[in-house]
Amino acid sequence: MENNFFSEVKAVILGLGELRVGTCPMGTIGLGSCVALILHDQRRSLGGLAHIMLPESRGSVDRPGKFADTAASTLLAEMEMCGSSKFAIAATLVGGASMFEFSANSLNIGERNIVAVRDVLRDQGIRIVHEETGGRIGRSVYYWPEGKGRIVVKRADGTCARL
Amino acid sequence: MELDPIQMDALAELGNIGAAHAATTLSQMLMCPIDMTVPEVHAVDIADMHSYIGNEISAVVVFQIQGEVADGGYIVVSMPRATVIQLTNQMLGMTDTDREIDDMDRSAAIEIGNIMISAFLDATAELLGIVMLPSPPALAIDMTHAAFESIVAQVAGDVNDILIFNTELESEAPPVYGSIYMLPNTELMHQLFHMLERLMEPIS
Repeated sequence: MENNFFSEVKAVILGLGELRVGTCPMGTIGLGSCVALILHDQRRSLGGLAHIMLPESRGSVDRPGKFADTAASTLLAEMEMCGSSKFAIAATLVGGASMFEFSANSLNIGERNIVAVRDVLRDQGIRIVHEETGGRIGRSVYYWPEGKGRIVVKRADGTCARL
Repeated sequence: MELDPIQMDALAELGNIGAAHAATTLSQMLMCPIDMTVPEVHAVDIADMHSYIGNEISAVVVFQIQGEVADGGYIVVSMPRATVIQLTNQMLGMTDTDREIDDMDRSAAIEIGNIMISAFLDATAELLGIVMLPSPPALAIDMTHAAFESIVAQVAGDVNDILIFNTELESEAPPVYGSIYMLPNTELMHQLFHMLERLMEPIS
């Protein structure tokens, strides 16, 4: 699988709770229970990525990328400011794994993150075109917004997939 | 999160005592000397966590800190895959290092983590004059950063930076290498500082 992400000059890595809208390549490394939400606008070769950590913001606004509800609405608002319209935007979800064996449920927050992201996308009327979620495996995801958008997922077992 | 140098030092010293005891138990188990780095304490913004926690495949053994303190802090042992295989081999008298991780390795990783962290918490709790116990362990053999995300999600729901205490243990023969991390939540951190400040007060 071709992965020239790290040779891109403008590529950005988004840490926990960060989000970004733009035309540059974007990625997150080592997704566990977190969810990478990628919104892609096919018409404009433009997209956004959020590295979501928890399902609900409960009124917190300082880090919109950290929570499923605020991340989705902020990405959409920023993309609309760049000229995107909602019906041209398609979503991809990656991550939300349950990483730990023998664990109390508190560490396995991945499933709740996925459900929260799906819910908020449904409320916003955004369709989900690809999902690589759940399971017990870490993933890294790389996204190139140019053209139809290209997404590569690298799994902890060494396998890669292009969505 | 604002930490003054004295708080940083006090916390590093507390961790140093804990890690030294953990290193001793590891040394006794392996019957070899173990080197230990000077502990580091960092207040890290969650968005920068990927600069501190690597993403190679490791065995990550996680414990919640319980006892006479606020629940919700975590303590973690992470070991590269090769180290886990090496440790299992050492304990079972095997020599094949070129193999996949199996159930025996998982069990060994948990057990070694358990013994090291029990020693760590025993020593630090004794210094503080309280009781601290590890919860039953949870194990992930995966990208280190991916495993840490679940822990950070627990301690950093309301705050945007976390305190990471880190020390590294190493032996040359057998070639093993591991790190101990402590990630207190806000409440536990304040409790620790409060107890450490009391310890440092001059005796009147």
